[in-house]
Amino acid sequence: MEWAWLIPVFSFAAAPLIVVLGRVLPGSGSFLAILAIAAGFALFWWVFAGFLGAGAGTENCLVSAHTGTLTCHYQMAWFHAGLAGAAGSVALTWGIIVDPLTVAMLGLVTFVALMVQIYSLGYMRGDSRFGWYYAVHALFAAAMLTLVLADNFLLLYVAWELVGICSYLLIGFWHERPAAKEAAKKAFIVTRIGDVGMLIGILLIWREVGSFSMFDAFEAVSSGAMTEGVTTVAALLLFLGAMGKSAQFPFHVWLPDAMEGPTPVSALIHAATMVVAGVFLVARVYPIFSAYDGDALLVVAVIGLITALMASTIALVSVDLKRILAYSTISHLGLMMLSLGAFGYTAAIFHLLAHGFAKALLFLGAGSVMHGTDELDIRKMGGLRKVMPMTAFLFSLGALSLGGIPILSGFWSKDEILLAVNDHLNPAFIILALLTAFLSAMYMARAMFVTFFGNLRQEMEHAHESPASMIGPMALLGVLAAVFGFVGFNWPGSYQGIGSFLFFHEAEGFHFNWWLGILSMILAVGAFVLGYLIYIKDRVSLEGFRARIGGLIPVVENKYYFDEAYQWVVDRVVLVFANFIGLFDRIVINDLAVNGPANSVHRLGIAMRLHVTGHVYSYAMGMVLGTIALSIFWWFRSVS
Amino acid sequence: MVDLVYFQLLSAALFVIGMYGVLARRSAVLIVMSIELMLNAVNINLIAAASHLGYRSVGEAFTNFDGQIIAIFVITVAAAELGLALAIILRIYRNRGSVNVDEVDLMKW
Amino acid sequence: MSWILFIALAVLTLGGGLGVVATRNVVHAALALLLSLLAVAGIYLILFAEFLAIVQVLIYGGAITIVLLFAIMLTRTAEYPRITDNRQWPLAAVASVATLAVLAGSFWTKAAVDTQPHNPALTDLANSLFTRWAIPFEIASLVLLVALIGAIIIARESEEGT
Repeated sequence: MEWAWLIPVFSFAAAPLIVVLGRVLPGSGSFLAILAIAAGFALFWWVFAGFLGAGAGTENCLVSAHTGTLTCHYQMAWFHAGLAGAAGSVALTWGIIVDPLTVAMLGLVTFVALMVQIYSLGYMRGDSRFGWYYAVHALFAAAMLTLVLADNFLLLYVAWELVGICSYLLIGFWHERPAAKEAAKKAFIVTRIGDVGMLIGILLIWREVGSFSMFDAFEAVSSGAMTEGVTTVAALLLFLGAMGKSAQFPFHVWLPDAMEGPTPVSALIHAATMVVAGVFLVARVYPIFSAYDGDALLVVAVIGLITALMASTIALVSVDLKRILAYSTISHLGLMMLSLGAFGYTAAIFHLLAHGFAKALLFLGAGSVMHGTDELDIRKMGGLRKVMPMTAFLFSLGALSLGGIPILSGFWSKDEILLAVNDHLNPAFIILALLTAFLSAMYMARAMFVTFFGNLRQEMEHAHESPASMIGPMALLGVLAAVFGFVGFNWPGSYQGIGSFLFFHEAEGFHFNWWLGILSMILAVGAFVLGYLIYIKDRVSLEGFRARIGGLIPVVENKYYFDEAYQWVVDRVVLVFANFIGLFDRIVINDLAVNGPANSVHRLGIAMRLHVTGHVYSYAMGMVLGTIALSIFWWFRSVS
Repeated sequence: MVDLVYFQLLSAALFVIGMYGVLARRSAVLIVMSIELMLNAVNINLIAAASHLGYRSVGEAFTNFDGQIIAIFVITVAAAELGLALAIILRIYRNRGSVNVDEVDLMKW
Repeated sequence: MSWILFIALAVLTLGGGLGVVATRNVVHAALALLLSLLAVAGIYLILFAEFLAIVQVLIYGGAITIVLLFAIMLTRTAEYPRITDNRQWPLAAVASVATLAVLAGSFWTKAAVDTQPHNPALTDLANSLFTRWAIPFEIASLVLLVALIGAIIIARESEEGT
């Protein structure tokens, strides 16, 4: 288990190797990345087994007082900032945490990254930068794995930013396209705004605790060394970073645009890395969030709910298949945040995993559709199940799972979230959460029915099924999307459900609230039936509904004008301010402060050089006058 | 007899005249002549001092010729300096076509 | 008696010096310099420094004046009348007067205890020069040699022949 740090190292090593040796290796070195992540995946099982076998007595392991779970902590010295042992010096360490959260994330990231990379063999075939794609992919996975293993905020932040830069590189992978370039910049800058908050939060914790170690921070929080106000502020600042990465309102605008990247990249970003980093961060530092009755968690819940509702309505009117999925991701991330805010720690991570598998499957399915048809506008599709049966089946499986159809994994995890919300928050939250659940089933039904069912269109007849390298990973993900939910149960025997493994302070058994379960089941099934009637049978007309809420449709279709509002702010406020700063820089900094001294020296030189006439007698005069002055001076000195 | 101080005053006057010449003239040859005047003024001072003060301690015969000997060295150095000055003047004249020191202003700004 | 001699020689010395710095004709200046230098030799005689007086006449009155006349001849004589004094001459005059004031003032106020001038024997001078001052004497001869070589190298017709 102490070798868990090797998991990211494989991929870290693979990235530069592919860049350097890609030209001479077969397949541009793509197999290196796949081997690296496969080795990581294998090592994950070893770590998992080791962790399950470990107990409180195992070396380096103990039951953490802060999270209540078995936590193994390995670290080594990195360097001292300042003199070792001196006051004010900070010992920086490399270190990894292996606890249930890390183990779960390791499994998700390695598995999804492995699937996506195998899938990319088919999807990216023939791309001119095939090797570079795999290099960045490997680096991306490595950064994310480091992020989940990190035991201190500094290492976490480094990995966090590495994830950011890799997402920038991958979203802008086809940088010949202006839209991709813009999307990459947008993703990078928007998440960066959140990252600034996170950095401030980390520094604030460091200032209070004097250490970057998470355990020290937790200790300070639980011992009261960090007061309520500081703890809440630090939690909210960290949450700002999580909001940026997890595309929470109002930072969600980058995620739909990030669809400009290759579709497998979207799958990786949405399912396993990048966006779940925010949820993971909140879960990782949950002791800070939940301290002092969890004031910060209320903010998390509200933001999560707003995000979930808003994104699911937009997903309902979007016509681009990938964008529907993107908004679906935002919506589900909102649900995870809501769950975390409702003390539903287990539910949030459970849903993160279930959603990760299902969403990776959906994106790979969308990629497969795009591969077969070169089209993403669902209005132009229909009946694709006739030409792409496997894709249609697997995509539908993912959609049904995510939509919350019973016995598929999405149903169980979503139900856990609803339970947590119901137990811990105001009734208004559960009503809106149920509405979100209904909407998310609805847009999934729409995407699924419109794309794959109904009559095959003329222009889609040339579409073809994707190669096995793409269907294979999808099938594996499909299995998990279908059955992963069963890990939540209390199986007869020793296994007590995921709640006994992954929990915060108190192990939870699987529980099922009958009225809530049936209600959400009715909503989900109802949404799919309704979708079937609307989009396939045309039994239910939307016209009357559209007419009644008429004015609201364009608002939603324009994504609530967030981009326009940001554009306005950038144009009117940021650019004006930037112009002012630029002017200030040119006039005050450049002309006055930098060139000023230089110019004055220059002018002084021009003035001073006049005494250098080049005439011998001038210099002689200088000597004489100096001598006279000196002799008069000494004479007066000797006289007085 | 003439007191030492009058020789000194004579020396000062001659020195100042030479100095004025160095400061005010433009011709290199005239500047060299003025330098000779200054050196002579110094020599007058030295020899006058040697003659008047050389025997101040009567018992020791001849302790203090130093003034005269230094004057000899001054004359020696003056001769050397004049030889060099002449060479330099000739070189300047050849390069610049003039002995006007205004022409030699390469070290100007 | 010595007062009359002194005043006469002083007038000749200063007059010659003024001639050097005042005239525009460079040959006249050289002659005025010769006059001044010879008068200085006379001053040395009043001071009982006969050897120095002879040296003065030989070296200054002879060699140096000749060298200066050579310098004048080897350069373009026609140019000399046009070389006027430079623009800083008033300042030079003021500085000179100031220097005179400083020197005269210091001499006058610090006047040495007066004794009569004496006439040291030439043999004593020679003894002193070649015993106590032997090393400076040798160095001085070396300086002369170096100056001679340097003068030849500087004044030689440019690079050809090297």
